[in-house]
Amino acid sequence: MTADIVVARGLTKVFDASRNPVRALRGVDLRVGEGEFVALVGPSGSGKTTFLNLVGALDTPTSGELTVLGRTVATMTRRERAALRLGSLGFVFQAYNLVPVLTARENVEFVLELQGVGAQRRARATEVLTELGLLDLADRRPPELSGGQQQRVAVARAIASRPRLVLADEPTANLDGENAETLMHLMRDLRDRHGMTFIFSTHDPRVVAHAVRVVTLVDGRVAHDQEKPGEAPHEILPGIGRMAGA
Amino acid sequence: MAWVSTTYAARSIGRNVRRTALTVAGIGIGCALALFMESLNRGRDELFARMGAFSGAGHVRVVPAGWQARRDPRLRLADWRVAVAAAGALPAVDAVTVRARAQVLLAMGTHVVPVEMVGVDPVTEPRTYQFVRTVHEGRYLAPGEPGTVVIGRGVAARLGATLDDEILATSVGRDGRIESRMLRIVGIVHAGSEDLDGSLCQVLIDDVAALTGLEGAGEVTVILREWRTADAVRDVLAARVGRGDEVLTWVQVNPEFKGHLDQDTATSRFVTGIILLVVLLGVASAELAAVLERRREFAVLSALGMSGGAMVRLVLQEALALGVAGAAAGFAIGAPVIVWFARHGLDFRAYMGPSYAFQGVLIEPIIYGDLGPWMVPYVLAVAIGATLVASLYPAWFAARSDPAVALRVAQ
Repeated sequence: MTADIVVARGLTKVFDASRNPVRALRGVDLRVGEGEFVALVGPSGSGKTTFLNLVGALDTPTSGELTVLGRTVATMTRRERAALRLGSLGFVFQAYNLVPVLTARENVEFVLELQGVGAQRRARATEVLTELGLLDLADRRPPELSGGQQQRVAVARAIASRPRLVLADEPTANLDGENAETLMHLMRDLRDRHGMTFIFSTHDPRVVAHAVRVVTLVDGRVAHDQEKPGEAPHEILPGIGRMAGA
Repeated sequence: MAWVSTTYAARSIGRNVRRTALTVAGIGIGCALALFMESLNRGRDELFARMGAFSGAGHVRVVPAGWQARRDPRLRLADWRVAVAAAGALPAVDAVTVRARAQVLLAMGTHVVPVEMVGVDPVTEPRTYQFVRTVHEGRYLAPGEPGTVVIGRGVAARLGATLDDEILATSVGRDGRIESRMLRIVGIVHAGSEDLDGSLCQVLIDDVAALTGLEGAGEVTVILREWRTADAVRDVLAARVGRGDEVLTWVQVNPEFKGHLDQDTATSRFVTGIILLVVLLGVASAELAAVLERRREFAVLSALGMSGGAMVRLVLQEALALGVAGAAAGFAIGAPVIVWFARHGLDFRAYMGPSYAFQGVLIEPIIYGDLGPWMVPYVLAVAIGATLVASLYPAWFAARSDPAVALRVAQ
């Protein structure tokens, strides 16, 4: 058995728009084990991004319980949540969100620098870029890269510190079909080799096809939670817990 | 070392070149103005210190104990020779002279003028008192020539006296008796100030002793090579003068004059402060605009786990780079102006006439800007300090950006 890396029980999030509060999540119950490759699907406004924000400790729930890597998000201070994100979580955004004035290598190095990695920072960044086939582009800045290349750099930035959990919000939304396929293969490969847990939201059926588990949110609730037969993470990824903990 | 953060900060100021250029120009102009004001302040300080010193106060003065409180001209030093020797031995000292003062009435015919008669050493006095360097009529006093006097043009006019006239000096002697002595006018001084011309009266120091019955000197006046060393020289000299004598700086000798100087400095600094406040608000506005433009970027950094403190440091690093650029601009704009004013001076003659006197000190109406190595650290400190202070609120704003809200807005 792998440990649950995310546990949500009765999770709600209400955005208080004063007169018209918006109930983005209405009692989500979900457990995600270490090494899973989970797709969050559902129509716009179903709560996918809100759920990722909460799991990513970017926001706090209105009620219910949410533990991420054994930490209760609701009781964490702003500083503690930042430390959790920096040390254990990786993010891939729909709009890539690379720092435009830094090169691809520097974007990756920057996160390592924030983590306090010293002399090995550059070598680690180079290693990750090489792993993702981006070494030739290492000295280019984001405006000089295509959308697909930027998103791969964003993935490199997200995984540079070998986080246990990577969250991706619509990572292929701005990519064409070929780049979307490449990215999903890449993420899946990283999960297989490093044992990282991936949770990503998407509208794209081609992307969903890569997921091991598909969680469908509708109106802020889990409508379906489907694990593809024969692809349970515990079965296909023996030793993930050991690798991730290493 | 946070190289990537530093690179990030440095490149970020180049994102909006026009805004950065305007901000740097604003900082530069503000710094140049501050530099100019400070240069004039320092020039005026130097001028006032020099004018004060050479108007009789000296940079340092040895006086009898209790003189500072009583200002009694009849007080005499316990041992003026020791004081002269001690002062003359100091390398920081340029000139030393002795004086003895007495309140006297000068009279000629039916005209009577009260003055403070100053007994001097005619050899050393011109090195410490500028107004007797050039005597417009006649000549200055000479050693071994008792019974001679040099007076100001105003005194001469009020007495109706001219060169070689004999005038009567009357004072109170040591035992309270009225003592008188005839003096021959050998020189008439035109100091350039009505106050000074109407009060100047110098005789040999022995004539003061003969008139008042008080032997010795009432003060030893010291001129320094560098006026800023006055406090240090006072401290050294205080340990070497005779018991019963004390050492004062020109500030203590003439506190009203120093007060006037301080008031001018405070006014000037207030104006500088307003200039810098305007610059500061301009920089704060530009920095805040830059942070607001990058709100999404800061939200992403926060999402990646960058702490609020690290974000503050990042914005302040950018401000530091702007400050350094602003300092360079300020120096480039200000230095040529200061060089010009250091050579040609700021001429107030149109407002003050050829000169004016304050507290017995004749002030030249042209202030020369001070030029020196102080300008580099000054402009750096002003530019960087103002920019960092101006960036505190934008930095705090960046640090407080909520990653979730910012990302929602962006998307």
